[in-house]
Amino acid sequence: MKKANRILTVLIFAFLYLPMLVLVVASFNNGKDLTVFEGFTTGHYADLFKDKDLLTLLGNSLLISLLSTVIATAFGTFSAVGIHNMKPRLRKTVMSLTNIPMTNPDIVTGISLSLLFVFVGSTLLHQKESLNFWTLLIAHITFNLPYVILNVMPKLKQMNPALQDAAMDLGCTPLQSFFKVTLHEIMPGIISGAIMAFTMSLDDFVISYFVSGSGFLTLPVEIYSYTKKPMQPRVYAMFTLLFLLIFVLMVTMNLLQIRADRKRVSKQVRTVTKSGRIFRRVCAGVCALLLLLGSGWLIFSTRQDKITLNVMNWGQNIADGSDGTMDIIAAFEEKYPNIDVNYTTYESNESLYAKLKGGGVTVDLIIPSDYMIARLIDEDMLNPLNFNNIPNYKYVQERFKNTAYDPNNAYSVPYTWGTVGIIYNTKYVDEADVTGWELLWNEKYAGKVLMFDNSRDAFGIAQFLEGISINTTDEAELRQAAKKLAEQNPLVRQYVMDQIYGAMEGENAWIAPYYAGDCMMMMVANENLAFYLPEEQGFNLFIDAMCIPKCSENQEAAELFINFLCEPEISGANMDYICYASPIEGARDYMDEYLAESEVIYPDDSILEKGVSYLFLPAETNRLMDSLFMEIRIAGGDVGEEDGGHAWPVVLTFAGLAIAAAFLFLPKPKHKRK
Amino acid sequence: MKKNKSILLSGPYILWMLIFTLIPLGVMAFYAFTDPDTGKFTLQNLEDLGLFLPSLGTSVWFSLLSAGICLLLGYPVAYFIAHRSPITQKILYMLIMLPMCMSFLLRTLAWVGLLETNGIINVLLGKMGAGTVEVIGTSGAVILGMVYNYLPYMILPLYAIIVKIDNRLIEAAEDLGCNGVQVFGRVILPLSIPGILSGITMVFVPAVSTFYISQKLGGADTMLIGDIIEKQFKTSNNPNMGAALSLLLMLMVLVCTGIMNRFGGEDEEGGVVV
Repeated sequence: MKKANRILTVLIFAFLYLPMLVLVVASFNNGKDLTVFEGFTTGHYADLFKDKDLLTLLGNSLLISLLSTVIATAFGTFSAVGIHNMKPRLRKTVMSLTNIPMTNPDIVTGISLSLLFVFVGSTLLHQKESLNFWTLLIAHITFNLPYVILNVMPKLKQMNPALQDAAMDLGCTPLQSFFKVTLHEIMPGIISGAIMAFTMSLDDFVISYFVSGSGFLTLPVEIYSYTKKPMQPRVYAMFTLLFLLIFVLMVTMNLLQIRADRKRVSKQVRTVTKSGRIFRRVCAGVCALLLLLGSGWLIFSTRQDKITLNVMNWGQNIADGSDGTMDIIAAFEEKYPNIDVNYTTYESNESLYAKLKGGGVTVDLIIPSDYMIARLIDEDMLNPLNFNNIPNYKYVQERFKNTAYDPNNAYSVPYTWGTVGIIYNTKYVDEADVTGWELLWNEKYAGKVLMFDNSRDAFGIAQFLEGISINTTDEAELRQAAKKLAEQNPLVRQYVMDQIYGAMEGENAWIAPYYAGDCMMMMVANENLAFYLPEEQGFNLFIDAMCIPKCSENQEAAELFINFLCEPEISGANMDYICYASPIEGARDYMDEYLAESEVIYPDDSILEKGVSYLFLPAETNRLMDSLFMEIRIAGGDVGEEDGGHAWPVVLTFAGLAIAAAFLFLPKPKHKRK
Repeated sequence: MKKNKSILLSGPYILWMLIFTLIPLGVMAFYAFTDPDTGKFTLQNLEDLGLFLPSLGTSVWFSLLSAGICLLLGYPVAYFIAHRSPITQKILYMLIMLPMCMSFLLRTLAWVGLLETNGIINVLLGKMGAGTVEVIGTSGAVILGMVYNYLPYMILPLYAIIVKIDNRLIEAAEDLGCNGVQVFGRVILPLSIPGILSGITMVFVPAVSTFYISQKLGGADTMLIGDIIEKQFKTSNNPNMGAALSLLLMLMVLVCTGIMNRFGGEDEEGGVVV
């Protein structure tokens, strides 16, 4: 029995530490993949310390968690003293208020705070950027406070109240007695509360994810959007270093505590020992140092004479200097030293729209696709461009001017164009099956098919297959397409966007529809992959173009950036990395020959004519598509023909929950009064 | 006099908590009852929730299952730790705490690397001549992710309770003729119920609302309520629907933890801290 227990414990520890071991090993792995070890290197650590962006994010995270911990600890300690002196009933009420952030799921806390900030910021104060550093800090302080209070309260309770009276009898003012006696007594609680708050805050993802805008991100939030490609190994290097740091911190804390315990036991009489005093001073010193560093950082990071240009782009959609390509942003910053580009990414047109509409962000430049541009123009969310600042517009090819989405060329300058086709693995997929979009419905490949995780692209494919217009607003036709998608659901391995890279390159999935440029990227990484364009059934032809949203604060800098990207040489160099086709005349000449000649990137004009563009659809069509798509993913194969009939279960659920809640929570006070 | 004054110290705190916990929940409820386009009062969002009830069911089922598995795995471990020497206890306790402090996003991604069709485990299995196992994209993978991420939340409160059980009680039971199983069933287990309940709550609450784990480890048919809420905010741009869903989730969690507390009796100050 005991032996079994021991073995199980060892196994559980192995289970807990196995994934961390994988990450640590990966930080020394010469290859890019988690799976294959290709030799030992410490190069990733060197990379890490050269990576300005990653270090800034780490700095942001540390700053937020340090500041929020310090504030919450001070604030929480004083409040705990106040709460401690309350009458029991009042105390109980306050404590249940304290418990709200502890018992609520993080997602609810994050959402409710972000709704409050956006509501107050955008609706009431008409701020452009209602989610920023301060909202993030407030959110962190809010969820840190309960940790401090719940750790300090028990210490206050343990404390002998006579101590304080004694101090006052000996001539202390109440304030002095607090600092000389109480504070010392409750110090262990304060320290453990602060440590808990700090670690929770440092690792918090969910709340920060909802509360942070685009201007100030923390490390976990950025890691979440790093799902493209296998993650850069320098992130693993950072993980390893953080692991070591926390490990050392914890060991030190434990050693100090063990020593303190021993002292306490041996002396019995509680006196302020010398080592205790040193310990206290060390703690105070460390806290002060951290505070100083934190505020220094804050001053340093806010003191900037540079203009910040906030660019929001698709993931992996600009050359970043890796694999011998040009670092476009660095080149731009070199040319215009007074501009600092803050670059963030989004996964799909819809998520970009949600970010803009949510009102929490400041963005100066966005690169959405055609139909989304039409929607943004329609909803008056874009600024007209000043073409005097964009002389390079002359390089834009004629066929990308006067488009359906921007007929007067007032709001957008094209960035890339491309097609949507099928990428498949020739090692596993029979060429004979590659006949059209129906490949994605082929039961032979069940569990190996990936599908778009956005309703517009997913519906588009079903519509091409069914011979319906991809721009239909007809409900029956949309339901027909939804039905087709529902049929496919059992075969689908995962609905993905950026995650497609890892899955296809690692050969974990075999077939997926995706954008040609990204497919090309994957084909370069894994030569078993091939691209197919179902030209007979029709396919989506898209243009991504640069626009300046209404919330922009640096229109001129954004226009400089647009102009820079329209230079044929820059555009060509950029395409070498992102593998899309350039709408800029002459850019193709600057591209890598292999890519410039590729049929995947630049299909024949005769094929191109069969491409169809998405058009702007009314809001109710988008909403219907969204909810049908959601339904497919929840209910699997079943898509209801009609809406309605849903109301009763909801009413019953809510009523049940409300009655249960009332039953559980109302009688409690009565119970207590006895 | 002095006491009354010091109560005032907590004034700013109460104000802060009202502004940043209660009022946001009110704003959320406000969104849940308004129309996304017109901003007028509506019950439509709540009616449309019906579509998502199956997901809520799946989420609850997965998290209860995970909490159960965590309990089965965690109890023996907590028991083991609680019966070591004080120094060993400290070390083991720290080793359980440590993973909680490290990025759960990266640790979950490591599981993707381990479990993928061509992942580390399958490569090793292949070398041993066994076939491959398909784990990613199944419900099992999601539950595994939950158990992995939240197991420490089960072990720590269990340990905190078990370590406090007075050894004399066990000796007394043995003196009165209980065998090992009886001692466990009649003395140790009943005494550790508060730890079990708080452990279950601490696993259940984050698990039922997760979206990262199901997005990375789950497949086409494992859409959890957290996923849907995240999508309403981050892609579908329907914060009103998202707020309605969050409200439902919050109520449900409230009821579940309420039931737990009922069983667990009165916890002096409420709230269990690790």
